[in-house]
Amino acid sequence: MRIIDLAINDLKQLVRDWKTALFLIVMPIGFTLFFGVIFGGVGGEQDPRLPVGFIDQDGGGVLSPHLLDLLDASDAIRPEVSDESIERAEKKVSDKDWAAAVIVPAGYSESVLRSGEGHALAGEEAALTIIVDGSTAAGATALNGVQTAVTRLRGAAKAAQLSARALESQGKSTDEPFLANAMSEAIEAWREPPLTVSVAQSGLATEEDEEKSVMATSYGQSSPGMMVQFSIAGLIGAANILVLERKSRSLQRLLTTAISRVEIILGHYSTMFVMIFAQLALLIGFGQLALGVDYAREPVAILLLAVTMSLWTASLGLLIGVLAKTEEQAVIFAMIPMFILSALGGAWMPLEVTGEAFQTIGHLLPTAWAMDGIQNIIVRGLGLESVLLPAGIMLAYAIVLFALGVWRFKFE
Amino acid sequence: MKILDIALKDLLRSLRNYFFLGFGLGVPVLMSAIFYFAFGGLAGEGGFEIAQVDVVIVNLDEPLAEYDGFSAGEMLADFLQSEELAGILAATEVDSAAEARAAVDNQEAGVAVIIPAGLSAAAFDPQGRAEVEVYHDPTLTIGPGIVKSIVTQFTDTLVGSKIAAEVAYNQLSAQGATVDAMVLQNVAMQYGEWSAALAESQGASTLLDIHSPTGKEEEEDNQILAMVGGIMTGMMVFYAFYTGAASAMGTLQEEEDGTLPRLFTTPTPLSTILGGKFVAVFALVIFQVIVLMAFSSLIFKTEWGALGPLSMAIVGLVVLAASFGIFIMSWLKDTKQAGIVIGGVMTVLGMVGISSVFTANVPGAEGGITEILPLFVPQGWAMRAWRIVIDGGTVGDVLLPFAVMLVLSAIFFTIGVLRFRKRFT
Repeated sequence: MRIIDLAINDLKQLVRDWKTALFLIVMPIGFTLFFGVIFGGVGGEQDPRLPVGFIDQDGGGVLSPHLLDLLDASDAIRPEVSDESIERAEKKVSDKDWAAAVIVPAGYSESVLRSGEGHALAGEEAALTIIVDGSTAAGATALNGVQTAVTRLRGAAKAAQLSARALESQGKSTDEPFLANAMSEAIEAWREPPLTVSVAQSGLATEEDEEKSVMATSYGQSSPGMMVQFSIAGLIGAANILVLERKSRSLQRLLTTAISRVEIILGHYSTMFVMIFAQLALLIGFGQLALGVDYAREPVAILLLAVTMSLWTASLGLLIGVLAKTEEQAVIFAMIPMFILSALGGAWMPLEVTGEAFQTIGHLLPTAWAMDGIQNIIVRGLGLESVLLPAGIMLAYAIVLFALGVWRFKFE
Repeated sequence: MKILDIALKDLLRSLRNYFFLGFGLGVPVLMSAIFYFAFGGLAGEGGFEIAQVDVVIVNLDEPLAEYDGFSAGEMLADFLQSEELAGILAATEVDSAAEARAAVDNQEAGVAVIIPAGLSAAAFDPQGRAEVEVYHDPTLTIGPGIVKSIVTQFTDTLVGSKIAAEVAYNQLSAQGATVDAMVLQNVAMQYGEWSAALAESQGASTLLDIHSPTGKEEEEDNQILAMVGGIMTGMMVFYAFYTGAASAMGTLQEEEDGTLPRLFTTPTPLSTILGGKFVAVFALVIFQVIVLMAFSSLIFKTEWGALGPLSMAIVGLVVLAASFGIFIMSWLKDTKQAGIVIGGVMTVLGMVGISSVFTANVPGAEGGITEILPLFVPQGWAMRAWRIVIDGGTVGDVLLPFAVMLVLSAIFFTIGVLRFRKRFT
């Protein structure tokens, strides 16, 4: 009972401080929306494909319209026909208005269709110019899309040349219209190739509700990510209560009362647990109702994850409160782990984009397991059994950090 | 002289402060190191390191007896498991589509490639169609993209041969020429040779003349260092504003401690005291920027661009971060409010301002709102100037963000100083 009284007192103190709401609720919601928008959560643009400038300097060349068709058929890029100068095109790529710019040089069609006789790489000397920053993700994706389209275009040209050669081998002559006709037929065939590659996602994204799947993948990263990050940020206020009580000797005074040391520690620990659990509940509710992230599909699993997340984070908070001697230190001791654990645990960016060693180290941390557990439910569409391991690891962290906190706890 | 004495004392106090050492220097270096590590800094080859994609393959294709047992499925499965792709894919074969999908569902693999029963037949049958399915974990984006690209490259070779044969058949028939199996086989074979030669000569890149928009061809040599340079810049901008605000908070702290009112009782004019304190704010931000730049140059080999535009970016960042700190603190009552502002408001403004750092590796996330939104906060203008500089921009390129930073600084500084003067007069 005394534990509860102490916890209620701490919670009242926290609730009175509007800074608590800022760290616990306002900031995580703001950043969830912000990152959701950045990563395409709102999806306002009709065509999500990357824009690629298309500048045709090969006036009247037969290949340009075909190339435009093939680029437009891509599911990664969309061509924007333009008559900009090369300098302007460079600027547009540099300013990220375009992911890349494709320039069809003068004489390109003629060069491709007429050269290379007897050579395996017909028309090799005729190259399209592409302006792209391959070091960016958008640039690399655009380059890949353009390469696919250009390979198909050159394949179509090669098919036309081979037809012409086969005809000529029977003593018949070929002309421009023959090549153009064969080329058109080949391009037409490439528009609907007989062998295709389809992509399907496992989990929720395979459900019929397309909107839900889009929301699940876009906020499926930012919603749990910001929950993980700001549950740690919220510890600043709670850890500061311990620091202030120690500084003002309230802890020592408490010892003169009937309350035991264990009850004092558990009281403060309970405060942190309740605070984080309430924060997670609010953020989960926000994700469910406002963002369409389906947390409610496995309520028991989500509850288990929320409890174990709250337990390990509260244990970290206890340790911070024990180690920090001043309020300033409490802020630093909370913020530095927040940055490190969030980044390494994949709260800011999916661990998939990092290297093998980074992923391995990330999975030594509870934050990566929290992300895995939540995403198993809201993105992968798995069940309760999929969160048992993540929850178990977070529980182990909670025990170890709590034990460290108790061991280092000083009342004076 | 007194101004400098006051500034020096404040500067020394800040340099001994945990908060500055932790947030001003420690965290930005730490965060850059984490990102450096995340994107392959330890690989030591100067390129991005992405973990191998775990792939399971199921080959349901049936070999064609009439074509000497040709099996496109087997070729694709072997290609995916080849030494050539071993650095990118860790591929294994399973027996059924259900098993392959289950491996992905249970997170034993990231991607499953399901080769359909009629792949080989579709490659030869004029009416035949087949679809290879890439089934993947929904949290993955890069791995499935890589696998799809590789499989498409493979199927395009088969499709190309088939289209070449079909075009030859139709065109030769239309001309009244002889079209027999030998002719068509010959066309398909020549197409295959061309396709193989293309693949050997680094694929489609030989058909493209690739240029960087900035003309910096050397950036291909070491993308990781270029990226970490961008991250370090973001961290520097983010934490310079923290430092500006935290340093200006010292004035509030001294007011609360009673040391500032005591200083006002001395013959030293108010303008000298405040001037000294503001000089300390500028000096501390300069110190932070120089230390972080030097560290990044030494450890991450960051190239900071030409001296002219770089000097403008440094001056702009320092005056803007310091002025903004003074401006913000001039509106606050005490250090308690300042703590909230530094912890909350500065974090929000900072993350909005440097959002391009977070979107750098996300296809399609660049441009649009992520370019415009940051310009609503001062950090966004500083970030824009620094990005131009490290991308090799000229004085002319950086002029606009530099001018905006100076104008904003003048406004923030004037308001901040006037409010502090009014407060302490």
